[in-house]
Amino acid sequence: MKFSYQWLSELVEDLDIDAQELARRITLHTAESEGVEVHGTLLKGACPATVLSVEPIANSHNGKAEVETEAYGRKTLVCGAPNCREGLRTVYVPLGVKRVSGIDSDGMLASAAELGISGDDEGVLELEGELNLEADTIIEIDNKSLTHRPDLWGHYGMAREVAAVLGKPLVDPVSLEMLPQGPGAVGVEIREYGLCPRYTAQLFEGVKVGPSPLWLQYRLESIGLRTINNIVDVTNWILAELPQPTHAFDADKIRGRILVRRAEEGEKLLALNGEEYVLTAEDLVIADEGGAIAIAGVIGGKDSAIGPETTRVVFESANFHASAVRKTSARLKLRTDASMRFEKAQDPHNTLRAIARAAELFELVSPGVVAVGGPTDVHGELAAAPVIPLDLGWLKRKLGREIEKQEVIGILERLAFGVADEGEALAVTVPSWRATKDISIPDDLVEEVGRMVGYETIPPVAPAMPVTPPPVNLERRFYNELRGVASQQGFTEVYNYSFVSEAQAARLGVPVEGHVRVLNPIASDQGLLRTTLLHGVLKNFEENRKHFDEFRFFEIGKEIHKQPEGLPRELGHLVAGLYAHGGDGVAGLRELQRLARAMAPGMRFEPTAEVRAYEHPLRSVNVYLGEALVGRIFEFHPRWMEEGRAAVLDLNLGPLACAMAGIAKQYQPVRRYPASEFDLSVLAGERTFAGTVEKALGSARGEAVERIEFLTEYELPDGRRSLSFRVTVARQDRTLTQEEISAQREAMIGAIREAGFELR
Amino acid sequence: MIGRIEELAGQTLGRVREAGTPEELEAVRVEVLGRKGSLAEFGKLMGKLSPEERVAAGKALNSAKTSLEAAYELKKTAFESAALEARLAREWVDLTMPPPGIVPGSLHPLTRIQNEIESLFFSMGFAALDGPEVETEFHNFDALNIPPDHPARDMQDTFWLEGGHLLRTHTSPVQVRGMQRLGPPLRMIAPGRVFRNEEVDPSHEHTFYQLEGMMVDREVSIAHLLYFMKTLLGGIFGREVTVRLRPGFFPFVEPGFELDIQCMVCGGEGCPVCKHSGWVELLPCGLVHPNVLRAGGINPDEYGGFAFGLGLTRLVMMRYLIDDIRWLQSGDLRFLKQF
Ligand SMILES: [Zn+2]
Repeated sequence: MKFSYQWLSELVEDLDIDAQELARRITLHTAESEGVEVHGTLLKGACPATVLSVEPIANSHNGKAEVETEAYGRKTLVCGAPNCREGLRTVYVPLGVKRVSGIDSDGMLASAAELGISGDDEGVLELEGELNLEADTIIEIDNKSLTHRPDLWGHYGMAREVAAVLGKPLVDPVSLEMLPQGPGAVGVEIREYGLCPRYTAQLFEGVKVGPSPLWLQYRLESIGLRTINNIVDVTNWILAELPQPTHAFDADKIRGRILVRRAEEGEKLLALNGEEYVLTAEDLVIADEGGAIAIAGVIGGKDSAIGPETTRVVFESANFHASAVRKTSARLKLRTDASMRFEKAQDPHNTLRAIARAAELFELVSPGVVAVGGPTDVHGELAAAPVIPLDLGWLKRKLGREIEKQEVIGILERLAFGVADEGEALAVTVPSWRATKDISIPDDLVEEVGRMVGYETIPPVAPAMPVTPPPVNLERRFYNELRGVASQQGFTEVYNYSFVSEAQAARLGVPVEGHVRVLNPIASDQGLLRTTLLHGVLKNFEENRKHFDEFRFFEIGKEIHKQPEGLPRELGHLVAGLYAHGGDGVAGLRELQRLARAMAPGMRFEPTAEVRAYEHPLRSVNVYLGEALVGRIFEFHPRWMEEGRAAVLDLNLGPLACAMAGIAKQYQPVRRYPASEFDLSVLAGERTFAGTVEKALGSARGEAVERIEFLTEYELPDGRRSLSFRVTVARQDRTLTQEEISAQREAMIGAIREAGFELR
Repeated sequence: MIGRIEELAGQTLGRVREAGTPEELEAVRVEVLGRKGSLAEFGKLMGKLSPEERVAAGKALNSAKTSLEAAYELKKTAFESAALEARLAREWVDLTMPPPGIVPGSLHPLTRIQNEIESLFFSMGFAALDGPEVETEFHNFDALNIPPDHPARDMQDTFWLEGGHLLRTHTSPVQVRGMQRLGPPLRMIAPGRVFRNEEVDPSHEHTFYQLEGMMVDREVSIAHLLYFMKTLLGGIFGREVTVRLRPGFFPFVEPGFELDIQCMVCGGEGCPVCKHSGWVELLPCGLVHPNVLRAGGINPDEYGGFAFGLGLTRLVMMRYLIDDIRWLQSGDLRFLKQF
């Protein structure tokens, strides 16, 4: 929202700080300023001038003009405007001498666009009367910081804030004496007061439609509104001032009385912007007996618009329900200056003020205009001004500093609150323009008082509170431990997005139905939420191998799985990836096994019968901790990773955390009697898993077996492998006898044979 | 006999001193000082002497033994230290060479900053909570006093999911979950991933990280909020920071503020970083709206609170002077290995 400094200074008496400082104060006390900018820069030093003569310049479409300026005497300059002609009264801007088309051109004649008066750049400005315009400064306020303040969408509301902050008198631009008197001349019926609490209309006759005076054009242009004609410009002026959105209909194009009703399903309206809109029963329209003539609070219809031939005007000043306007405007993708204001919940008490203001402004822009009768003012029951109790002790406790009662009262009154002093508390009456949704509870008043005294006057204070250690978030701590291990083992942490495409899901063979779908994805290829972190891993491999021959990374993130009902399940996973451009890939898989063991020393690996298409068929293994399946290690299938070797560890952190919590960390007494060891070498087939052999050994594990360790692997000429294990046996209470050791050894040999293996 | 002893001693002393190798030295020791060595032989002959002669010969024998043993030890030590010197001289290692094996990886800058801030808050008694990334409309909006027709619910900001759910647009839903879980009084933070339906460019992301903070107690004032913010930011930036509050509108707080810190680049004088205002907008905060307390099952007549939201992504970018937000989720190790 743009605010004109000139406009504000007309509404705040004796505004004695510059725009920059004003913007700073507004930021500190009311809403965020995004900066200030000069408007109409060329007006500095500009003056009226009359063209004395124009002669053509050879080989140029420009002309050489002699002009008589009011402030700088006679000047010669080059002008290319088509309307530059002898006798033209226009505006001269001194810019110094410049060589143009072979002629020393001293200054320029300016168009309305160049001067910031309007968008008209067709020719130089044709000036009637004086040029009473000065360069202005525009303060841009962030719209987001105004969403809760319907009153600040106009200059009068902002002027009230400025006056309150600076302690200056506020000038009301509306004089209610200007309100036309007499019976209403416009027939109005409201069908739904819920959607239109109030509709006020005034008939004006004797209207002459034409261009607006320059001051009006200039003001609108300065805050980003375009001049249309004098009548429409007045409606925009009022919108930017009060900030009541209004609309002018050509009275002769309205058939019968005005009806405010829901649109019929499929009802159409050709709008002012030339677009045709198809409406639904959700939308509110202004209609006459022939059909819709405007979409309520959003845009007027083309057929009833003000045109050059218009002489009678129905001036609408109505109040529409905020969220209904917002819905319609959102559905039609049509945000207008009116809809933006109505969305913020405008004050229904403002409609008559706008009529009074219109009567005054119409007289200025179209002298001789006559108001026919008074306004037709139809409304339902309007809410009474709310009264909020404000306990002064409570206020102090909320703010954290004391403020004198008189100061509190002064602040609230400057902001137009009614205040009744009730001793320890105040009874605060909310002004109608703050009561629509902005202010309803005492906490809202804390803000009013706080921001006006200035939050910088509140000293920081340490609260008195018990010193207690907060509960520890075990999951976060666990995740951080894993992060520490992974990074120490050489893996760099990545963060990947949660969004994936159907093509990505298909690529890994993940069923699409298991995904949660995004209804409004940022792009069509980001329409699903990831059910595995492997999509990101694949991308990380593909991207990074362009730059590195070997690399390691990991991510901790959430898999999101759709559930039949309720929120989806979010599963914390850790994925680690290792890529090597050369080599046979075995080292990478081993490294991931080591990483898994670094996280939990008891991790073990078991072959899996489950086939996943993207995995190397002979290079995948399930990872267990205790009896819990906690993850998987695999190498990507060459079809998914056509170059190099990419190995992945994927851990499901929920079960892993449980399994780790289940491992008792308790001291075992150190043995006092010596242990004995014996080695067993087992002949195994080419593809027999060491784990299978170890399991067979374990099946004969006696009480005295302390551990079974894999030692070495040795390949025989016939392709078979010799797998060696070392078994350590011992007892806490005595040294084992040779017989006991042999018995254990024999038992294990028996078990191995039973499992179909031979001893080497 | 004494003469022979002395003669042997003299000769042996020479041999000890001139021994060229430890083996040679050892041979001399065995021959002369050994249990069956020459000196021992003399000892056996002592019995045949008269008592007077025996005393004199004994003395000579002992003195020879002592001096030979001393010479032997000396020579042996010399050999040992020479051997050690020689070993040390051979064992040159180039310790300027980098070590083999694993080069540690690194943590994501967002993880680093989260951990840092988490421990800062932990030290001030704030529990760290988590909430789901997929949220209900209730937790993301209604419970936070954002009514159904509020513009914040517009399609363009929120990723809506089938089943009426959504991707949380802020970490604020954890406020309500936290209040329900911990009950008053409480101090909590909730760092996490949030989502906004925004086009991605160097300064906008649809996925970013926030940290929500909340304190609820019998009496909580703006002065307390200021105190915590100042302490927190001093901790984050490692020095005293000057902060200011100005009005800001967020439905879940009342009053609501934007908290600015004095520009650390120019110290408040004005520079391009702070757009010549001397201040940098850092975080939204405010006193918890009574409706939000109610949604969390807390009676606003008995308790009050403050809440704030810290943009972790933005903080990371400030801390490491990262000029393009897209690096953070690029997975590009050329970027990530720098941390
Ligand atoms: Zn600065």
